[in-house]
Amino acid sequence: MKQRALWSVILIAALAVAGCGSASAPDSESGGAGGKLVVWDWKSGEASAASYIEKAKADFAGKHRGVTVEFVAQPFEQYYTLLGAAIQAGKGPDVMLFNGGGQMRDRVDALLPLDEYVGEDKRRLAGWEAFTKDGKIYAAPVTLQGHPIYYNKSLYQKAGLDPERPATRWDEFVAHCAAITKATGAKCFAQGNKEGIGIQFFLSALGSGILSAQEYDDWIAGKRDWTSPGVKRVFSLWKEVNDQGLNNDGANSTAMFNDAFAVFQSGKASHVIGLMSDVGHWKDFAEFLDAANVGVMRSPVVTAGATPSLPYDGGIGYAVAKWTKDPKAAADLVRSLTSTDALKSFYADAGAIAADSTIDVTGAGPAVATIVSGIDGGKPALHVALSSKTVELMGRLSQQLLSGSVTVDEAMKQLAASDQAG
Amino acid sequence: MPRGSPSPVRPAAPGRAGGAGAGTPLAGPAPVGGSRRDRDGRRSERLAPYVLVAPAVLIIVVLRLWPLVLGVNFSFTGDGERNGAPVGLDNYTALLDDPLFRTALRNVGLLVLMLPIAVAIPGLLATFIYLRVPGHRLFRSVYFFPAVLSPVIVGAIFNLLMAYDGPLNAVLAHAGIGPVDWLGDPHVAVFAVVGVHVWATFGMALVVFLAGFATLDAALLDAARVDGASLPQTIRHVVVPGLTRTIQFVFITTMIGMLTSMFGLLYVMTGGGPEGSTYLPEYYIWVQQGQMNRPALASAASTALFVIMLVVGLLQISVLRRVGRDD
Repeated sequence: MKQRALWSVILIAALAVAGCGSASAPDSESGGAGGKLVVWDWKSGEASAASYIEKAKADFAGKHRGVTVEFVAQPFEQYYTLLGAAIQAGKGPDVMLFNGGGQMRDRVDALLPLDEYVGEDKRRLAGWEAFTKDGKIYAAPVTLQGHPIYYNKSLYQKAGLDPERPATRWDEFVAHCAAITKATGAKCFAQGNKEGIGIQFFLSALGSGILSAQEYDDWIAGKRDWTSPGVKRVFSLWKEVNDQGLNNDGANSTAMFNDAFAVFQSGKASHVIGLMSDVGHWKDFAEFLDAANVGVMRSPVVTAGATPSLPYDGGIGYAVAKWTKDPKAAADLVRSLTSTDALKSFYADAGAIAADSTIDVTGAGPAVATIVSGIDGGKPALHVALSSKTVELMGRLSQQLLSGSVTVDEAMKQLAASDQAG
Repeated sequence: MPRGSPSPVRPAAPGRAGGAGAGTPLAGPAPVGGSRRDRDGRRSERLAPYVLVAPAVLIIVVLRLWPLVLGVNFSFTGDGERNGAPVGLDNYTALLDDPLFRTALRNVGLLVLMLPIAVAIPGLLATFIYLRVPGHRLFRSVYFFPAVLSPVIVGAIFNLLMAYDGPLNAVLAHAGIGPVDWLGDPHVAVFAVVGVHVWATFGMALVVFLAGFATLDAALLDAARVDGASLPQTIRHVVVPGLTRTIQFVFITTMIGMLTSMFGLLYVMTGGGPEGSTYLPEYYIWVQQGQMNRPALASAASTALFVIMLVVGLLQISVLRRVGRDD
């Protein structure tokens, strides 16, 4: 009996311990040793990225003959959780993919500064700011992400407007919209604010046409004045656009992904603020509207004196882990992953604006050409500079502004409080 | 008598130590050895129940209570820069200051208020089926059908139906009623979602009601019919009193269903919006933990939800107990 009791206790204890065991450890060993580099990302598993990876590997093999490279594609939803565990353990991949901005900046303690390795690429690639912290570069940009204003050229034509000369002033823009609505019934903006994303795109796309250059730069640098007339104008314009019936009906119950884009693609709205890479962009729209009919315009000037620019940041980029055994080889792999040849494939297959400004994009239609021409004078997007908490609050307030249950002044007050709290 | 005698004794009672005295005395004087085995036997008999319940207790303690304690403990620590540092009740005051969490709690209250409707609908429909309205067989299966659909599918279907330019508004427009922004109007959205939830789940309650009807005394109904009672009178004076226990049971299960399984619908249909008007505590917890990266605040909200559920659960137990006494 006693023995049985003992056994059952041991068995239970063993079961309990096994049950307490955490999720399985990351499945790849820390590399670098034995001439092997491990790369983590969420892109390499996709068919559209195959030739990009192939070309990057070939380029790297030319430089480091004995080093093998293993790509481990992680599911995106769990990517940063898995990466966080690897970083806590101090071992994991040698090279890893990051979204630009906060996700990477929060983790620079585990990353190797790349300044000494990527010097040659600095001019060729754009979007470094999103991968820089305290003056040091931690990742090399692969794609760019931003918020161009797309418009439907065939609707412009139907309304008797010149599709090659979109409006440059706000009053002109509203007049164009009125003409298009009269001629075709299409609304001015395809707007989806169900998730509160509409305001983010609106703020970033039209911000450069509202804020002065100084105000814009201050905002990005963290000196945000929520009481300034410019910032207030962004939000009053947001409300005005909806009140004047420029948005599609039911903006608060339309999802940006992908109902709002569907409204634009089906010709029910003449403009949409979209993305540059991944989804909701020139390539998606061209499938429905034909590449020649998809135009891209700068923000119309809302406040006199503002200089509209393309809002964009580094989209995704590769970084090197601090613990890698051969930093030079790992950095070279990052350089191969951002080589012109490889990025060309990525742009063509995956439908992304690559970070490399020397890639020839003339074949992809006028929209891409306009976007790429704006990269040089572009600035970081306004909403990317905000904390996730403030962005969430802004989403909710933007819905309240549309429904009229909060005033612009009250919204500004709440946003200022949230922004200052960090 | 040498002390080290137990080993030769063992083989005599290999199975049950309790069978003391039955073994042939192999060593030493029998009476001494017997009383010793007796003592061993009594002790193991005393221990046996503990050993037998140990697996269940250990599983509950290790996998339920201990994580619960850790979670509550975690809710007194900070997030972000104050990660891991004890912050006292800061998370709880932050919760009370957060209009989103207050909305979530208000919505719980709203659910409780809407409970009678959610129970009356399946009750009424089950009554019709029981009273054999024409086509009752068809209705029985049709009513149950939504219960087998997952919330995600139900949500997707109603997203399309309730879209601003969707079929529901088209039908209303034919009737001359202006379009309603079902999922975009903060005053309407929560009712739309709860309505869909009731539609998707009332089939289960309907089945429970039908089972309750099976226990109803048919003679009473016949008597009512003979006495010339109208349908409303039959329902009021015969059906409802006969089904008290079933109705109470459905109340409780519907309440639990509303508080614990609306996440999927919320996620698909409104994402907590518009204006945060459709937040429920569990959705709030998920957002704070997964989107805002504030796990400690999320565990404070979990603790609050736990307390609410505890109160609701205790109330339910007392109701059930009272019903049991009535029997």
